[in-house]
Formats: sequence, structure tokens, C-alpha cells
Amino acid sequence: MQKLSTITKLICLIALISLISGCVPVTQTAAPAAGGTLRWSLEGINELPALDPPLAGASQSVGVISLVFEGLVRLDGQLNIAPAGAESWDVKDGGKTFVFHIRKGLKFANGDPVTAEDYAYSLNRAFGPDFANGNAGYYLSNISGATDVTSGSAQTISGVKVIDPQTLEISLNTPSVYFLYQLTFPASFVVSKKAVDANPTSWTDTAYGTGPFMVKEWKHNQSITLVPNPNYWLGKPQLEAIEMPFIQDAATALKLYQTGELDIMGTYNFPTDQLSAVSSLPEFKQVNQFFVAYIGFNNAKPPFNNPAVRQAFARAVDKATLINKVMEGAVVQADTIIPPGMPGYNAAAAKIQSFDAAEAKTLLANAGYPDGKDFPKIALSINNQDPNFPKIAAALQQMWQETLGVTVDINTEELSKFNDDLTATANNPEDPAALSFYVSVWGADYPDPQNFVSQQLRSGVGNNNGHYSNAEFDKLVDAADVDANQATRLPAYQQAETIALTEVGWLPLYYGKANMLIRTSVNGLVVTPQGLFPAVDWTKVTVTK
Amino acid sequence: MGRTIGQRALSLIFVLFSVTFLTFAVSFNAPGDPILNMMGGRQDPARYALLRTLYGFDQPWYIQYFRYLYNLLHGDLGYSYKYPERPVWALIANGVPVSLELGLLALIVSIVFGVAAGVLAALWQNTWRDTLLTGIMLVLYSVPSFVLIPILWIGDLALYRAGLPSLPVAGWGKWEHYVLPVIVLAAANVGFIARLIRSSMLEVLRKDFIRTAKAKGLTWSLVIRRHALRNALLPLITLLGPASAFLVTGAFVVENLFAIPGVGYLAVQAIGQRDYPVIQATTILLALAVVVMNLLTDLAYTLADPRVRSG
Repeated sequence: MQKLSTITKLICLIALISLISGCVPVTQTAAPAAGGTLRWSLEGINELPALDPPLAGASQSVGVISLVFEGLVRLDGQLNIAPAGAESWDVKDGGKTFVFHIRKGLKFANGDPVTAEDYAYSLNRAFGPDFANGNAGYYLSNISGATDVTSGSAQTISGVKVIDPQTLEISLNTPSVYFLYQLTFPASFVVSKKAVDANPTSWTDTAYGTGPFMVKEWKHNQSITLVPNPNYWLGKPQLEAIEMPFIQDAATALKLYQTGELDIMGTYNFPTDQLSAVSSLPEFKQVNQFFVAYIGFNNAKPPFNNPAVRQAFARAVDKATLINKVMEGAVVQADTIIPPGMPGYNAAAAKIQSFDAAEAKTLLANAGYPDGKDFPKIALSINNQDPNFPKIAAALQQMWQETLGVTVDINTEELSKFNDDLTATANNPEDPAALSFYVSVWGADYPDPQNFVSQQLRSGVGNNNGHYSNAEFDKLVDAADVDANQATRLPAYQQAETIALTEVGWLPLYYGKANMLIRTSVNGLVVTPQGLFPAVDWTKVTVTK
Repeated sequence: MGRTIGQRALSLIFVLFSVTFLTFAVSFNAPGDPILNMMGGRQDPARYALLRTLYGFDQPWYIQYFRYLYNLLHGDLGYSYKYPERPVWALIANGVPVSLELGLLALIVSIVFGVAAGVLAALWQNTWRDTLLTGIMLVLYSVPSFVLIPILWIGDLALYRAGLPSLPVAGWGKWEHYVLPVIVLAAANVGFIARLIRSSMLEVLRKDFIRTAKAKGLTWSLVIRRHALRNALLPLITLLGPASAFLVTGAFVVENLFAIPGVGYLAVQAIGQRDYPVIQATTILLALAVVVMNLLTDLAYTLADPRVRSG
């Protein structure tokens, strides 16, 4: 399925990473006594979509929520799971039960102690009927009894048990290695029952949790101001405040940055047409993303139900030209499903779909269409939201015409119409009106290959709109999804990925890049494996004026 | 007079009713599933079904419409899909004062400058000063705001880089934030009003009563102020009605580019997000404003021009 919030998840993820890592300081200036005020724009919104953790979805919300709230665990700079609200945990029953030991002395920003009860309350709340439009169900429905709370047949989640004030036990339906990763998404972050009950409808206007900051003022439709949490478990951050204006238009944010009114811009949206003007500045940073743009095929309908035709189309694409000439290097060429930097990335798989015009011709001839003769009329569908897609589609059209002798139409649709059509295609792939093939994108929800392999291409999963299906692939990912041993698990995903690339379940086009400007007066930000982002340790971040 | 107001009030109800039906029909039939949008592309059939029920999308259209009307009459505009924490009325209530403030300032600026330029051009008719002024007004009138804004930005950025005092390029709250958006919003109206006043002034100046006034021996400035200008301003009233209606709903382009938290900002985003409750609410607000302002304009015209009253 087309991912609307696209880069979204990915950036969220990076934002999460931010909360974490023990990484390399980028600037090393002696910290001034007072930490200054950090002015950091939230592009692409005119109001923060949500600040209540269970409602986190949009990347901007995930970003701010991650500054104010925290969960049991978090990601470190190497994208490994690190302790947060839980000091430690035990995994039992072969990955089906997790016992978390809550950090001793952990407090909410207002000074109230945090216990296992608070985490249980937060999870029950996230699955409750008030948050049916939240994301807890998507990430955490593997918790035993969680869906019963959503459907109203239970008040509390049977799989969440408070053993004692310092111990929380969570049981799952099936063993899961990536469950801890799923806990790094805000849906399960701990909220204060006292704060919620005191003001159920507007408690987030002065929200506080266990994160490094708390909300000082949320000027609706305008900006949000955060101040340090004096009880943060890593110590009180030095910054005096973080001011985050909501700026719909990224070009406006860039202008504000250029006139000295922002310290960080571009983390949520960057005006890519202005890249060349700023890319040589010392404060310009580029970050690779766990984000893949790809072509999906309708595997249920001719001509793409024939793997040889899909292979011919894949081998006829000269990606180097596409990325370097057409896209002018604004993105990174993608040859794999699992993006670089993610556990399980397999560089060797990159050659599977490499450009080979002669091979492509042969494949198409073997499929019964020598030189494209008698090839049915097909259209590549794209949405009109992404400015890159029309350029890419036009270049692909030309490559397939020249190499394969096949004429492909381009069907550009408004994003919502495109999503409707994609859903219709997923529901009725054999319908004459179903899409033949389409450009789509996927951004990571969490840094685990399960999110890119099993959740995209396993037979019958919701996101497998093109109905790609391979029994061997399914067997491999089903085993890997419940395998607690990374040493055997990751190779299984790699084998599955190799199958999907060989049969062209996906034709990956490019990985995303995030662009941002960060003033050199901002100290203590760190580089993670995913690039630069304000780091873990907010207690060390300062702004020199 | 009373009967006129009664009739207009009745037609107002009819117009608003039609608008609610039209916005509902358009939203209902538009491509794009708001639930899919809300779920951000994460396929989860169980949750999808749950959300459809929660938002009432599983009901037939007439039930959805009448429930919408019922809630509307009880002052309940529903919850935004995009901002699930906030009721629609709260979103709009935040934006209306901002849009009003910006729009009123822009309107005052455009009337002051527009009328002044129009009167001067009329008095200087067919001299080089008239040509120059009319030319400038034509440019102001014809340059769209999305062209004017980058020009102002580039100028502002140049001032900043040169270390000279510059204005903030976006934002809201301090007086400096008002300058650029007000210039942009007022520019087109200044041009329009100036041209309107110039032609209406020229027409009035040719009238017999002006000649009579001059013949009576009144000074030229008195003739202009007391006789000519008062008559020449009448067409401005017809312009003010629709113009002030848009004050409430804000300026779409300007609010978006300057990040001003008004209703226009909200409406544009809502359209892109398929946020139907917000789209419907802003449309009804606009319709209400236009209808009421037109009614007031007609009444004002009746008061200002005795001929309309007796006719």
C-alpha cells in the first residue's frame, strides 16, 4: 500500500534514534552555562496532528512525542535496543513473554513516581475505544488479549500483568524478535493517569511524561514550546527551551532559517528544488533513510503474472542513468528491498536486477513477446504527490520502449484516487480495471527486515497489493518472523529477499535521503549510522548565541 | 424595509441548507477514502472496519447527512480526521480572529491607499501623473500574490544579508509579522479600488450638481470632499460586502506561505488531507459570511443612497 506519511515513519525512526544513541559528537564547543533556546521548525503541518502517544502517526507528532514521552525501551545509535523506562528485561518462553524491570527512581516530569501500573495503564488506554484511530493496534496487536480491549470484549489486556510496582510482564500470541522494536514506537509510551484524568480533553496542552522535555505552551495552529524535564532520568537538559513553529511550506522554513530565525530546518520536509543553493554550506546535512521507492506489479493478471516479463522489465532499467541523470543524484540508487544500514542488508543481492539490455530482450522473447510484439497495452500508475514520479515514469517509459520495444502509458492520479485504485487492485487483482504496475514507496516503521520483507511481500499480507506469492519465500519469512536467533533469522530474510528480487516481486528504484540545515551554533548533536540527528543525550545539547 | 430583511433572512436559511447539502455531496462522492488516509497506508482490515463504524461511514448517505445536519444544528462540527485530539470548532475558533485581524488590516490599508490614489488620478486626469499612477495600480492589480511574495522575500533576504533591518519572512504574533502579508493582501485591492474610484470620480465630476456647486462659488476642495467624493464612494460599498466576507475565511495563499494560523491555512490543508469535517465547516463558514455580508451591504447601500430606498 502506498504509504502516505511516507518518509514519515522513517524520519520518526530517526527521531527516535535521536533520543538515544551514544554516538559521535559533531561539534565540540565548550558548553555555555545556560543552554540557550533551540528553534526547530516542524515543516509540512499547520498544527501538530497529535501529542497523545497512542495517536502518533504523522512524523511531526512522533518527533515531538519522542521529546516529551518515553517507553520501556529505545534505540541506540547502532539501532540496537537500549534500556529506557525499563532498566533491564528478561525474555522467556522462546520470545513469547517479556518481563520488564522498571527503572528505580523513575519519575514523571512533575515528580510523581512511575511504576509498572503506569505502563499497564498506558497500554490498556492505547488499545481502548477512545484510540480506535490510533496506531497501537497496528504495532502491538501481537500482545495477548490486546484486540479484545479494542473490540470492547475486555477492559484490560490479559497479556499485560503487573507483577509488582517494579515489574511488568507482557505476553505475546506468537514469539517475536521485533516486539522490542515495536515498543520503540510511541503507541506504548507511558502517560500519567493523573495528568489525563485531571483534564481528559486538553491535558496534552501542558503534556508531560518521562521524556527529556515537557510542554510549556502549545499555541494551536502556530507553535509548541518545550522546556526541560527537571526529573529526566539522564539529568535535566541544559537547553532553556525548544521552540517549534509549525510551517506548512518548507520553502518558508528555509527563508526563516536564512534570515536567522531558526536553528534547525528541513528535518520533516525540505524544498528539494533549493538543494543546489544550500548543499555546499557547512551546516547542510544529508541523511540516508530507511525508505525505498519501488515498482509493484499486479501478479494476478497478464502480462505481469509471468515472472519472465517482470524480469525483462527490471533488467531493462538503467538505474544509474535514472538516478544520476534524471534525478540528479538527489536520491540513492536502490537495488535491494532491505535498505542499507538496516539489519539484514545484503549488498550481494544488489546485482540480481542489474541492467542488462540483451538479457532483458531475451527474457521478453522467451515470454512470448519478441521485440515487444503483441505486448498488451499497459500503463504505469503514479500519484501526483511526489514531484519525482513524473520524471522517473517518463524515463522508464523511454527505457522500456528502447530496450524492449514495449509502449507503456503513464497513468498519473491524484494521491487519494491512486490509493483507492491500489486498494481496489489489492481486493480484486483480476478485475480489468485493476492497476498493471505502479510506483509506490515504503518507509520503515522500525528497523527490522520483517517490516520490509514479511510485511510487504508475504502471500496475503495487507501491504502486498500486487499479490506476489512464492511458497519458499513464505516458508522462510514465517520461520524468520518467530526466530529469536538473529544469526539464523537474518540469513533467512536475505534468502527470502533474494527470491523476491529474482522473481521481481518488487523492482526497487531508489532509497530516500533526508536533507536538513543545522546551525553550527547548535552543540552536542550526533551522527548515527543513519546520519545526523539531534541525539540521545539531550542533557548535552546546547545552543551558543 | 422590515419585509426585505425578513425575505433575505429566509433566503439565507435556504442558501445555507443548500450549501450543507452540496458540501456533503461533494465530500461523499470525492475519490479518496478518508479512513485509508487516516491509517497512513497501514493495511489492517479489522481496524479499518472499526474506524468506518466509529465515523459512521458504514451508514447510507442520507443517514450520514441527517446526522451531520443534526449535529451541526447542535453546534457540533465533529472531530477533525487529521487532528484527532481536536474538535473542528476549536480549530476554526483559533483561526477566525487571526484571519479577521489580518483581513481587516489589509482592507483598511487598501481602502486608504486605493481611495487616495483613485481620487488623485481622477483629479490629475490625462496628465503624466495620472498615467503613472494608473499604471502602478494596474500592475498591483494584476500581479498575483504568489508572484509578489517571492519578490518581497528576495528583497527582504537581501536586506538581511546586507546587515540592514529586515522583516520576518513568516510567522505570527509580533507587529513585524503583519507587514509583508498585509502588503501582499492589500496590493491587489489597492489597484482595484483605485481604478474603481478613479472612474466613478470622473463620472461624478461630470455631473450637473458638481457644476452647480462650483457655480455657487464653493471652493474646489469643498466640492470634492462634500459632493464628489461622497457620491464616488458609493460603488465601494458593493465591493466591501464580498471582500469582508473573505476576511473571516482568510486568504488561502498568503496564510499558507507566511505560516499564519488563520482559517485559510486550515482550509487548504484540510482539502489536501481529505479532512471532510474541516472542509465542510470552513465552506459553511464562508457561505455564511458571504450571505450575511451581502445582506449587510444591501442594507448599507439602502441607507447610503436614498434612490435605492425609494425605488
